[in-house]
Amino acid sequence: MEKKKPIINYKECMACGICVQACPFSCIDFVKINVNKDKKAYPELINNGRCTGCGICSKECPVEAIELR
Amino acid sequence: MKGYIGKILIVDLTTGIFEEQKVEDEVYENLLSGVGLGAYTLYKNIPKGADPLGPDNMLGFVSGLLTGTGSVMTGRWMVVCKSPLTGGWGDSNCGGTFSPAIKQCGYDGIFFKGISVFPVYLYVDNRGAELRDASYLWGKDAVETEDILEKENWNNKKPAIAVIGTSSEKKSLISGICNDRGRIAARSGVGAVMGSKRLKAVVLAGSKPIKCHDPKTVKKYSKEFSKKIKKTNMPQIMTGRMLPLMGKALTIPKNIIPIDGIVSASMMKKWGTGFGNTMGMYNGDDPIKNWAGSVVDYDKSYYNNVNPDKVLKREYKKYHCYSCVIGCGGVCDIKGIGNGEFTHTHKPEYETVNAFGALLMNKDLESIFYINELLNRAGMDSISAGNTIAYAIECYENGLITKDDTDGLELTWGNAEAIVELVKRMIARQGFGDVLADGVKVAVKKIGEETSKYAMHAGGQEPGMHDPRMDPALGVHYSADPTPGRHTVGAFGYYNYMHLWTKVSWVPKLKLSTPKKVEFEASDRNGIITMANSCIKQILDGSGGCLFAMISGVHNWKIFEWLNAATGWDKTPDEYMIIGKRMQTLRQMFNIREGINPIDFKIKDRIAGRPPLKEGPLKGKTLPIEGMIQKHWEHFGWNPETGVPTEETIEELGLDELLNN
Repeated sequence: MEKKKPIINYKECMACGICVQACPFSCIDFVKINVNKDKKAYPELINNGRCTGCGICSKECPVEAIELR
Repeated sequence: MKGYIGKILIVDLTTGIFEEQKVEDEVYENLLSGVGLGAYTLYKNIPKGADPLGPDNMLGFVSGLLTGTGSVMTGRWMVVCKSPLTGGWGDSNCGGTFSPAIKQCGYDGIFFKGISVFPVYLYVDNRGAELRDASYLWGKDAVETEDILEKENWNNKKPAIAVIGTSSEKKSLISGICNDRGRIAARSGVGAVMGSKRLKAVVLAGSKPIKCHDPKTVKKYSKEFSKKIKKTNMPQIMTGRMLPLMGKALTIPKNIIPIDGIVSASMMKKWGTGFGNTMGMYNGDDPIKNWAGSVVDYDKSYYNNVNPDKVLKREYKKYHCYSCVIGCGGVCDIKGIGNGEFTHTHKPEYETVNAFGALLMNKDLESIFYINELLNRAGMDSISAGNTIAYAIECYENGLITKDDTDGLELTWGNAEAIVELVKRMIARQGFGDVLADGVKVAVKKIGEETSKYAMHAGGQEPGMHDPRMDPALGVHYSADPTPGRHTVGAFGYYNYMHLWTKVSWVPKLKLSTPKKVEFEASDRNGIITMANSCIKQILDGSGGCLFAMISGVHNWKIFEWLNAATGWDKTPDEYMIIGKRMQTLRQMFNIREGINPIDFKIKDRIAGRPPLKEGPLKGKTLPIEGMIQKHWEHFGWNPETGVPTEETIEELGLDELLNN
């Protein structure tokens, strides 16, 4: 069965970076720029292969903007 | 599972021995984590009279109690030590990503003592800690060093790195500790202490979970606050050009009508702290011409050049510290500026722009971008450096020093080229730069007592860029705090925005009828307000909270509720304020033990309005500074004449028992 991966809802995401710091394998980083035309660097899954689908990012997100799918 | 870890690491750099220490719950219950834990550890472990740059001084990196618990805007880390700048208690705090990284390594704090024989860095991950040779990094700037260490140590997890630049290696007393390539814990001379220990960096790559008592409730408050911030935006039509007038208009009701602090977030989101570049021109908040000038001198033809909209033209992306939902930071393109050696820099903060703009009568914004990056890389405090250069310029303009003293530099007001060159020489400790590299207090000793009238400082610490003649509470905090010269402790303006009276029973609520002149009185009301400001700031520094969140108001950013949810305690805001009072008193006790006479920290006369300015928005303003300090100390339960905490207060706060355990 394929592992679930984090999907970020950019309408809710505040770019606070809690997920970036929480990921034990640094699979998420601030690389999605300007998605809401606000110059913000939003987090995005950058290292798909290393993501274990552990869900820590989703659990830690303070605004529940990350879903594992 | 109380938000804190309950453990610290002590590293002896002389022997290379590591010691893990358990910290009892009662320490956190009495002093929180962060600066409180730091003050407890240092008070017990630093011998009285220790040389700040010697092996007996300790340097601690502490995280906040709320960091990593799911709360937002609680990602600040603090450095603690005995300050070489003031000779007393030293602390400085900073954002970035370093705070959660400390806890992810399994500690609330990492402390260093001793001095290494050769340059080292500390590496910590889930498996443990080790000291590694850093000789190959010595002499490199903070950004270069971080790049190298990140590359070398990025295994599973991207490491968080705190590092010193070249000015700290040279033990500049106005140097700090950097992280995230441009965030800096700049105050108290903490960088010099790290440099004296030959500790080049701390590299943290742990990934241990940070657990708290009730994460669901913590998250509930985070979500509420985040939603408010999302909705709080500056209208599109508001441009930087309107800020000077807006600043003037906002000052009128500032101290008579409570303002919801959440509005400050809209300005932070749009400009970052840079809105202050021009907003304080007509209300007098922005110090000009070494605190002796006004907007009459730094008029429109000057301040239009530092309009924050012009800063934003170079900003290509926003920068958020860990857990921040506002994102006041930014990264700016500076290709082609200066010698062209840098491509980008963190967006210059208001403090930097004013310290190298209005304070020096400089209107060359490009030079400020360049200086910002020079200082970030060297790890030098821009507030202190700006104040020190302002002092030198005034000495030069008044003939107390000449070109012979300045090695040929024409140090006139607004001479951007000379200012840039002087910054470089201060960083390199070259010639006249060496004279200034330790701040104004040391410079006066080297140049001569007759220049002391131009040296603006409080107990050796150069003040932040907010004028007490506009907000007198600032003058009290600059003068009466154990870490003097800080603009971040409190102001009447902050008090207004914070709405503490919605939570704390004993603080006065601002009333519509409060006349503005009450600010300039040495009254009990003001003593209670400044005391409350100091207490809440200590709670903030124990929690890892950001001042800009605090200013949005405790009714919006629910620090008291978060602390209870994270720890499982059931404390009232009044009880937390006692913790703040305890932390502040402990820091003051540290100063007293080190022989500090607290009244020596009083801000220089010029800044207190003696003599008062003859023109501009602060014309005729004078603070009754001594009286206000006395009221502040009195409400802390300290001797109002001497600033020494009384035995009754120490006993009432339980500090004697706590420190003797």
